[in-house]
Amino acid sequence: MILEARDVTVRYGGLVALDGVSLAVPDRSIVGLIGPNGAGKTTFFGVLSGLVRPRAGTVALAGADVTRRSPQARARLGLARTFQRLELFGELTVREHVLLAHRQGRGSPFTRFARDLVGLGARTDPEEDAAVTSVLELFGLAAAADRPAAALGLGTGRLVELARAVATRPRVLLLDEPSSGLDARETAQLAEVLRRLRDDRDVALVLVEHDVEMVLSLARRVTVLDFGQVIAEGTPDEIRADAAVQAAYLGTTT
Amino acid sequence: MTLYVVTGLVVGSVYAIATLGLVLTYSSTRVFNFAHGAIAYFLAVVFYELTVEHGWDGRVAGAATILVVSPLLGLALWAVLFRRLADTPPPVRLVSTIGLWVALPALTRIVFEGDRYERPSMVFDPPHQYRLLGVGVDSNQVAVVVAAAVIAVAMTILLRATPFGLAVRATVDAPRMAAVVGVNTSLVSAGAWMVGTTLAGVAGVLLGSYRGFDEVQFTFLVLGSFAAVVIARMHSLVLAFAGSILLGLVQELSKSTRVTDFLGGFVDSQSVWVRGLPASIPFLVMLVFLLAYRGLGRERFVVAAPAADDDDAPPTRAPAAWRRILPVVCCLAAVAVAPAFLSGLWEGIVAKGLALGIVFLSYTVVTGEGGMISLCQVTFAGLAASVTADLATNHGMDVLVAVPLAALAAVPIGLVAALPSLRLGDLYLALATLAFAVLVQNTFFELDWVANDGVGIAVPRPEGFGDDLPFYYLLVALFTVTAVVVRNLKRSTTGLELAATRSSEPATATIGVSVERTKLFAFGASAFLAGAGGGLYAVYGGFADPDQYDVLIGVVWLAVVVTWGVRSIAGALLAGLAFAVFPQLVTEHLSSTWRELPTVLFGLGAIGLAREPRGVVHQVVHGHRDRRRRRVERRAARAAVAAP
Ligand SMILES: Nc1ncnc2c1ncn2[C@@H]1O[C@H](COP(=O)(O)OP(=O)(O)O)[C@@H](O)[C@H]1O
Ligand SMILES: [Mg+2]
Repeated sequence: MILEARDVTVRYGGLVALDGVSLAVPDRSIVGLIGPNGAGKTTFFGVLSGLVRPRAGTVALAGADVTRRSPQARARLGLARTFQRLELFGELTVREHVLLAHRQGRGSPFTRFARDLVGLGARTDPEEDAAVTSVLELFGLAAAADRPAAALGLGTGRLVELARAVATRPRVLLLDEPSSGLDARETAQLAEVLRRLRDDRDVALVLVEHDVEMVLSLARRVTVLDFGQVIAEGTPDEIRADAAVQAAYLGTTT
Repeated sequence: MTLYVVTGLVVGSVYAIATLGLVLTYSSTRVFNFAHGAIAYFLAVVFYELTVEHGWDGRVAGAATILVVSPLLGLALWAVLFRRLADTPPPVRLVSTIGLWVALPALTRIVFEGDRYERPSMVFDPPHQYRLLGVGVDSNQVAVVVAAAVIAVAMTILLRATPFGLAVRATVDAPRMAAVVGVNTSLVSAGAWMVGTTLAGVAGVLLGSYRGFDEVQFTFLVLGSFAAVVIARMHSLVLAFAGSILLGLVQELSKSTRVTDFLGGFVDSQSVWVRGLPASIPFLVMLVFLLAYRGLGRERFVVAAPAADDDDAPPTRAPAAWRRILPVVCCLAAVAVAPAFLSGLWEGIVAKGLALGIVFLSYTVVTGEGGMISLCQVTFAGLAASVTADLATNHGMDVLVAVPLAALAAVPIGLVAALPSLRLGDLYLALATLAFAVLVQNTFFELDWVANDGVGIAVPRPEGFGDDLPFYYLLVALFTVTAVVVRNLKRSTTGLELAATRSSEPATATIGVSVERTKLFAFGASAFLAGAGGGLYAVYGGFADPDQYDVLIGVVWLAVVVTWGVRSIAGALLAGLAFAVFPQLVTEHLSSTWRELPTVLFGLGAIGLAREPRGVVHQVVHGHRDRRRRRVERRAARAAVAAP
């Protein structure tokens, strides 16, 4: 298991946003997480990535307990994520997003800061250039590379978030509704990119999606949340057939 | 002892009145009003003028000040300033009220000249005297305590049990929703500012009659109430009240002989560490509570990020490199040829501006790049200036070696000042740096070897730069070197990290950047720059005089820099020049009444940020392009509407 959460509980005041939720993500696999709005999916991602401190439960990354580790420490251990509400760096260009993510975890921060002060920090070496360019091309962002993020549309913005996450060379990537704001063609392209991430770059993916069909077609296993609780877990076929899911979720959307 | 309990209760009550006003306006509009004390002082002076100068009865004057002038002032300030702040980014919100804090007292001094020595009383004149548990108590003291209690109860009822309170809570939790369900959010925020300003008026009138109208003393007393706001974590009325009373009691009790004798067992009881204690208590308490709250994590303090204003969207293409360095190159070229045209006096003024420009580059790093509001850059400058002077004059070190060494010494001090509050967010960092600055001013700057009977330690000019012209070009060169370093930083990975942090801390952390470490790097670098500039400023003046590094001067510095542009190097240089040149121009061309005019202008400039957060330099260089873009967009929008 590259990522494993056990019995995660989160409370906001009186509201129980997550109630003993567990999830296991095998290496190089796609796992789906679905559920109606307010089910707690985004909160769960917060717990996994270290932004939300759980009341109870543990998170393990590649076998190591990271429940008390900071978000940046988890990132360095190979966890990356995207955000449902875009969290782009408005003043930076698309290329700078990828470059910054790519540079993390290389060298001591102190020597780097010293280099930055004397003016060696702005340079890129050919290897770095190649890596950044390959990520940009993977997401079809080469043409937009020099535009500041604040000037991008929602669809491109989602791709930039993805590119930024992938540039950190993650072993597991959490995607929070990556297809919202994309049209049908872009969604199909996205599904293809996700497959390639898994197959070519050996990244495990956790996919939160409102596009249930996309999840069921991509994921090896799917977990269904409702009101902070797991109401079903299984293969896509099992989930399709599950009566509780039908009632709580699928039924309401069709 | 009992005597100090009585005065402590009175001081605590004044704190409570001031604090409740701050908590009310913050919790209903999310704007922390740094100008609260300035407003209280202005209103206290209005009261003084009405009674002493115009002979009004104290009660009439007090009632007029509190019930008429205060709410009207609140309404006026809301209309011109506070109203606009709701939709601005948090740093702009902070800086705007800091601008008011700079402008208002200076304006007060222009409008109401002269000194105020009398002690008019609002309530009982003359007061009745009682004896209570063996100490004398007068009826005015009782009135202050009663007023605080009544106000606390009234505020609680106002916020908990009236439609206004309900509307306030709705507005704070979800302004758009509140507007949708029919709450008039403008009315709510105007009302909150009127009540808040009225409470500032009550605090001002009572404090003035109790402690006198000396501006500096007055300002620092009201600043002390910020500690109670921290105790209350900006929200809790109960904690605000209890914290204020506690603060007043501790502060007064620290004056009692029992405490000074006790401290005398450890340090000389005549030393600054004991003498400076009472005035320092609120700021010590504030730092203690910041440390205590640090563990609670950041969530509780998060200021909701405002929705992006479409009008503020950056251009689709980044401006070309030459365009970005053009302003600073032009300015430096002008400065370099200036001595050919300037008299000796004006050459000196420009040199002063250059030294200050180096200090101001520290704001470019900490505020412009780091997005943090620091109110203690002046303290780093002052500390380094004193250390420079000591090394050079008392230990015979070359000045050009002493300046960077002293600046290095400022770095760990800066890290210590920033560390406790870094995780708590912008507002708490600003408050912590303010507390730190006041503490250093009350202690270190008062030390005999630092203050040196009010003139400071003499600093020689560096070897070979004794004459004015070589020294001038030395400053030009040093500013240029510093500017290059700052520009390197802006363009480097660290610069990218800082820009990322300003946009989204969660996203920055989840790509593996330690937000805290990045901010500490920026803060440390800025402490170095402030220290280096402060040392050179002392070399320019010939003395490391702590009075030149007063907290309130630092507040003006911040206002000047943000006015000219805290994001650009040219902004720092122009701000330094403006700070040096404006006062001289006023001295030469206007009567002494207008001595405070530059300060008013600097404050107004910072207030103006609510309109143009990127400062004057940005306006001049990019303004036409922004305007053209907006014009094009408006035309497109109109066309879109017109089309069927
Ligand atoms: N910071 C927060 N404070 C209070 N309640 C929150 C917070 N974040 C989420 N919630 C609540 O927790 C529940 C789960 O939200 P979320 O995780 O965003 O659900 P989902 O992503 O599945 O739509 C919702 O009821 C939401 O209102
Ligand atoms: Mg969600």
